[in-house]
Amino acid sequence: MGARLTGSHVDTQEPKTNPLVSISDEPETLYKRLSLLVKGHDKAVLDSYEYFAVLAAEELGISVEKVYKPPKTIERLTLLKSVHIYKKHRVQYEMRTHYVCLELKYLTSSTAAVYLEYVQRNLPEGVAMEVKKTKIEKIPEHIREPVWDTLPQVEETEVKS
Amino acid sequence: MKLHTPPRTERMAVDQDWSSVYPTAAAFKPASVPLPIRMGYPVKRGVPPPKEGNLELIKIPNFLHLTPPAIKKHCAALKDFCTEWPSALDSDEKCEQHFPIEIETVDYVSAGTSIRNPKARVVTLRVKLSHLNLDDHAKKKLIKLVGERYCKDTDMLTITTDRCPLRRQNYDYSIHLLTVLYHESWKTEMWESEKTEEDMEEYIWENSCSQKNALDTLLRIKASENVSNVTKEELLASEVVKNYRNSVIALKNEGETENNMSQYKESVKKLLNIQALP
Repeated sequence: MGARLTGSHVDTQEPKTNPLVSISDEPETLYKRLSLLVKGHDKAVLDSYEYFAVLAAEELGISVEKVYKPPKTIERLTLLKSVHIYKKHRVQYEMRTHYVCLELKYLTSSTAAVYLEYVQRNLPEGVAMEVKKTKIEKIPEHIREPVWDTLPQVEETEVKS
Repeated sequence: MKLHTPPRTERMAVDQDWSSVYPTAAAFKPASVPLPIRMGYPVKRGVPPPKEGNLELIKIPNFLHLTPPAIKKHCAALKDFCTEWPSALDSDEKCEQHFPIEIETVDYVSAGTSIRNPKARVVTLRVKLSHLNLDDHAKKKLIKLVGERYCKDTDMLTITTDRCPLRRQNYDYSIHLLTVLYHESWKTEMWESEKTEEDMEEYIWENSCSQKNALDTLLRIKASENVSNVTKEELLASEVVKNYRNSVIALKNEGETENNMSQYKESVKKLLNIQALP
């Protein structure tokens, strides 16, 4: 992954301009908190993944608010052991789901996109799943003033988002 | 029959660049990993099986491609694409002051036959009413319109939308709802003037039975003492009546606490001029 950016081998005197970086004018959306919930059946895999995600966040300069492990949930099934009759002989299965929750604070949309893509591409197979909660902040626009003051004798509301 | 060549591990230097051995996620190759790992259920009075031909090691996802130096290299390359958080917004309060609306959306990543998840279209919008430009009547009307979605303790309005199939549509709908609520609450309908005492959110002393009773009693006391006709306004403006008014309002709005009850007792004693009782 590091070999892709051939343009970044530049002298230290000149300012580095990465040719792959493009700057656009649209304002960034801001994420106050990003909450990653990783689910898996194997605790060791989740522990390694948590170490990886925390290290990646710190290297990219994202502040990690807290990392905690919600208690595991166990789903149990009791099924008949035999294909036909033998009701008294059953077999029991259980599915254990372990969780790790990462809460990150104060991300811009580009940082969040970079971090999430990196972390999701390296999600281990099958065992761990991510559920992301994104909290965005925005400023209200047409809710500043009530519209009745500006519209004389217009009956219907021209409210549109 | 294949010639048995020695595994690559014997030719590996101790200070080699590990990220070139495992640049991407790959299965565990025992000939490429120079670690003496054993995994599996041990035989009776034995040790777990070695790494050669060990299916357990191949099955489990490994993080050999994500060692700390490799992560640091990746992040150094990715750092150019990240942007800084504005330093002026370093606390939650400042964020809320400048950006009062919070939108919550959830994304789901999992392995399966389909990458879509129907729960991903839910959008929750949260805003504090103190940041909206509302006057007293508008605020009360909004709270009545919204019902359960308003929490009085945190002064937070929460609108959850999931009636549209796409997330963008749900977001637009929630903003539309907020706009409609805001503008409708500023309107005053004709039937709103029929608001009765039961509809009031908080207790207002003026024009209530408590005020009538108090004034009635005082007037009668004055009449029996044959004092010159004191007008209602004078009575209302007097200290004792104001005290009584404040204590009744406190009792009704905040509930019955020790403080409120004792305040009410004092004010009634002063109103009726009975100092003798304890």
